[in-house]
Amino acid sequence: MTDVFITGVGKCLPGKPVSNDEISAIIGKISDRSDSLGAATLRKNGIKKRYYALTANGDYTHTNAQMAAEAIHAAFAHAKRSPDSADYLATSTTQGDYLVPGFASAVHGELGIPPLELASFQSVCASSLMAAKSAWLAVRTHEARLAVASGSEFSSRWFQPGFYQPFYNESSKPDPELEFLRWTLSDGAGAMVFEPEPKPQGISLRVDWIKQKSFADRFPPCMYAGAASNKTTNNQPWNLYNSPAEAYQAGAIALKQDFTLLYKMFPAWVGYYLELLDKYQLDPNDIDYFLPHYSAQSLGQEMKKLLIKTGAMIPEERWFSNLVHCGNTGTASIFIMLDELVKTQPLTAGQKILCFVPESGRGICSFMHLSVFDNN
Amino acid sequence: MTSSDLQLISTQQVLRQLTIVWADFESRLLQVPIIFRAINNQLQLEDYRRLLADHYHQVKEGSGWICRAASSITEPYLEQRAVFIGHATTEHQDYKMLERCYQATGGDINELHKQDKNIGSEALSAWMYYKASQPNPFDLIGAMFIIEGLGKQFAQTFAEALQHNMGISVEQLEFYTYHAEHDEAHLDELEAILNTGILTIPNIRHEIIRTAKVTARLYLLQLEELGNY
Repeated sequence: MTDVFITGVGKCLPGKPVSNDEISAIIGKISDRSDSLGAATLRKNGIKKRYYALTANGDYTHTNAQMAAEAIHAAFAHAKRSPDSADYLATSTTQGDYLVPGFASAVHGELGIPPLELASFQSVCASSLMAAKSAWLAVRTHEARLAVASGSEFSSRWFQPGFYQPFYNESSKPDPELEFLRWTLSDGAGAMVFEPEPKPQGISLRVDWIKQKSFADRFPPCMYAGAASNKTTNNQPWNLYNSPAEAYQAGAIALKQDFTLLYKMFPAWVGYYLELLDKYQLDPNDIDYFLPHYSAQSLGQEMKKLLIKTGAMIPEERWFSNLVHCGNTGTASIFIMLDELVKTQPLTAGQKILCFVPESGRGICSFMHLSVFDNN
Repeated sequence: MTSSDLQLISTQQVLRQLTIVWADFESRLLQVPIIFRAINNQLQLEDYRRLLADHYHQVKEGSGWICRAASSITEPYLEQRAVFIGHATTEHQDYKMLERCYQATGGDINELHKQDKNIGSEALSAWMYYKASQPNPFDLIGAMFIIEGLGKQFAQTFAEALQHNMGISVEQLEFYTYHAEHDEAHLDELEAILNTGILTIPNIRHEIIRTAKVTARLYLLQLEELGNY
């Protein structure tokens, strides 16, 4: 097996940055009470700017596949490689534009490049590192010579008031399970190019390892769409109703987050992190940049205390995040963060980067460990 | 590296291994039928009463096996023995709180006193007393980490689910809400005892983790076997 390097990173953040007081104009208004719950959510998640592929007049500027393609083209440009020479494409998204066929086909179609091997990964945030791992392994095992992985999301289309109408109207009490995501997620795409050699000039990132673990054996769905509820009594999938209209009326289409359950996942994620520290004999003090795909605020005090007591806390000044000005773009986030890290930070040879992508979907925890290479 | 640095590192390593065991078992709690049903709004008051009854022995015996462990501690660890005794004293009256909850749910206290251990509880109790009877049984720190940690988390999960789904009263929940709100300092106490030099006992680190694993499994077994006497 060969070493594999990330030689190009790219992103697509559609349109202009949208400030907190402009959100309603894009995703629409459900009610005044819903807007005030939104303001509280924004204070909590700390996001100040984000991007949407929807416009205030209801049009869209990109499809999900178009955002992915734009990010992939940017990553190839950064790697100084022709996209035509790629022989492997792995895409990740929470929900593609079409229900059928797979998202990678849509992205390949948008890219306008010759036939190549594809893999479509679909999950919430962790699909990013599933796609990255697949691209990494394809090059590592000589199955591919030039691979690309993308992560992209068109979350805002879920948040139009029409998606909620059957069970949520102006007089309803705002439901935090729905509102949290509405005010937290936004649109964008990111991509990375993988090659068996570092760039002849400039910074490359060697992928040391990518590991993930699913805890779906013990957690029910936590962030989900396609069922009215995640409780055992009422979780009929949307396509087993008599018609899509009936599923919509039953509330089986909206995207939801179960908060109680979310907090139950934290210990499982911390446990997995500690397991990996031991497996790879990693000293948290040797990590130069820690890229967590979630806000520092949500790292519970109890968890932080546990990490300090177990000697596992990466000093907070080494945490790198662009959540505040790029928003939470789900599976695209880690790619967009890496793009900014590579293009704005003074990376030097030998530095270590640890990416952390916990997924509340049904409890997946993912990590990617990178080493900086510099051929300047 | 000074000897206190080395001690800190070994304490951190033990706590790290214990946290891995704890995280696995805490997340498995959600699949235990009583918790699963509570989260899915499928419990009735009699289920809750049965839980209290089946939990009763563990609570009552907790300070018993800690005292037994204290009596198995010999020189040069008499300072640590004092910590065990202190811990046993703190917990000794907890069973009375559970009795009050049981009565608040309409349970007959005489029935509770006659109640057998369920088969999981029987195994857990036998294991704890067996361990506590060994010389200098500091591997029980692993058991305490799990029982205190799981106890707190279980209490919280369960109390929240019951409050949401059953409209259960404050009096009926007193035991679990008390444990959800207290026991915060247990991590500090365990860390303090690990730092007293016991980690130099041969093989003790391995034994602490192993005892934590067995205890965690038996704790779940106790919850899985509610009503099976």
